[in-house]
Amino acid sequence: MSAIAPKFKLSEFIKSLLDNAFWAVLLASLIGLPIIQIVLFYIEMPVIDGELLTPFLALTWLADPTRSLPILKAFMATDMFRVMAFPGFGFAALIAAGTIFIERKMLAKLQLRVGPFYCGKIEGILQLAGDGLKLISKEIIIPAKADKPIFWAAPVIFVATAAAFVALIPVAPGWVVADIDLGLLGVFAVIGFFPIITILSAWSANSKFPFIGGIRALFQMVSFEIPLILSLLGVVILTGTLNLSEIAASQSSFPWIVFLPVGAIVFFITMLAELERIPFDLPEAESEIVAGWLTEFSGMMYGLVQLGTYLKLYAFAGLFVVLFLGGWNGPMVVPPFPEELLVGVELGPLTVGPFPGLPLFDQEMLNGTLWFVLKTVGVIFFILLPRGVFPRIRIDMLLSLGWTKLIGLAFVNIFIALGLLYAGVLGPGGLQ
Amino acid sequence: MADAVFLALTVITIGSAIAALELRSLIYGSIALMGTLGGIAGFFFLLDAPFVALFQLAVYVGSIAVLILFTVMLVKRELIFNKIEDKRRKFAGIGLMMVVMVGLGAVFLDSGIKTITTDEPAVDFRDIGTDFVTYYWPALILMGLILAGSVTGALVLAKREDVENDQRTN
Repeated sequence: MSAIAPKFKLSEFIKSLLDNAFWAVLLASLIGLPIIQIVLFYIEMPVIDGELLTPFLALTWLADPTRSLPILKAFMATDMFRVMAFPGFGFAALIAAGTIFIERKMLAKLQLRVGPFYCGKIEGILQLAGDGLKLISKEIIIPAKADKPIFWAAPVIFVATAAAFVALIPVAPGWVVADIDLGLLGVFAVIGFFPIITILSAWSANSKFPFIGGIRALFQMVSFEIPLILSLLGVVILTGTLNLSEIAASQSSFPWIVFLPVGAIVFFITMLAELERIPFDLPEAESEIVAGWLTEFSGMMYGLVQLGTYLKLYAFAGLFVVLFLGGWNGPMVVPPFPEELLVGVELGPLTVGPFPGLPLFDQEMLNGTLWFVLKTVGVIFFILLPRGVFPRIRIDMLLSLGWTKLIGLAFVNIFIALGLLYAGVLGPGGLQ
Repeated sequence: MADAVFLALTVITIGSAIAALELRSLIYGSIALMGTLGGIAGFFFLLDAPFVALFQLAVYVGSIAVLILFTVMLVKRELIFNKIEDKRRKFAGIGLMMVVMVGLGAVFLDSGIKTITTDEPAVDFRDIGTDFVTYYWPALILMGLILAGSVTGALVLAKREDVENDQRTN
């Protein structure tokens, strides 16, 4: 008999388990299955191997697992998959989660600490899951005099805006959620929403520290947006397009950082400021104003803001890769698929393949994704690195850096681009 | 589809414009103003002008609205405004605005705007650029000079030499 549950009886426990199982089966068969049938009736099913995917066919994968591959492949061609899983939210959230862990561990190593260590035996690898569980299970506390609608909406809108930013980043040829003609302008429009959300959430908390942090964030983001936009114009001048996929494709022989290093440096510095990273983390300055504009957030609201911040970090790193480091371009390192996968070979009495639905991705896409992820992780590493090295700078130094030095350098970059264009080195008639 | 989107955008734009004028809370008023400006960006999207629409978002929602919000947040409302609650004046104002808008709409509809064909291809933003450097070059140069002047002015204003920096230790 345990001290926690003194009246524990095994028979009662088993009975309660059986009770729960009974109700689960009953509800699933009476409500769940009809709902599935109704939903399957209304949604438009894809045509796979010449036959329409009916609910019956869709469930045949239970008997024959190879049937599930074509269904999976048809699902991967849908917009839903793109938005939720691969180039969209899921992929970005995965990289963001990896970034958080690597950041903590790397910073600890830089500062001769151990960092996350105990959660999950090997070097604290489960620390992130533990933090997530803790955030989800914590109570959400709203300050008494807060402006509740804005305070509730701010973290959600923050994540949504960051996800909209992620949607514009092309990962591999043809693999982008929103392949719009004016992608770069879309990026500028989306970036413009972050200061609004920050200042609104800071104001709505009705507390001093968030408000100070919010005003700092507003100053910083608005003033660094200008050099950010100007520093990217050089690339637009040389490529003659605003479509991010076309900009990435234009760098098949050399990345633009070779010709526009000034623009790349200015963009990197403004990126650090827009992301509120050290040395520009004045909005969150934890040694001065508790946690800046995040002070009053608790529980999963704080978790959402953190998720949004790291999604934004991934999106900015991806934008740097697409604009200056050649996007998905790189030597082909993914080996070609084996013969039996594509056409099938005879091995004595047996015929192996071809497997329907395989390969799920083509070779070009895998290679592009590999190079994009490698470059993005490299850029993220360089974004994280200053945190272990630099102190925070003063706000007047920050503003004078943004308004005087970076804008001037951005104009220098534009003149370099124009010079290359008019000298005939690049652009029409030049290289490539 | 386009009609439904048009109607929804109309409701958002006009509704939030009314809200921007009528709401007592200045912050909510400026959020409603953002809704109006965003709705206008939506109209530009409907008109196949995504270039203008994205600039509308980036400049008006992203910068002008932030400026208004920032100004409003630093204002103590009680010190400036005397509250004069008058229901009749409020509804009279809304009614007057509606009458003006309906009148303007009637004039627009009467002006033959319905006969404009709408199935023409969208204008490429590159054409806008080409027009700017060929036919409209004086306007472009004038705008460039004004912008350069304002940027230089902003830089001069931002760089204040007269302030002694007593925090710096050197």
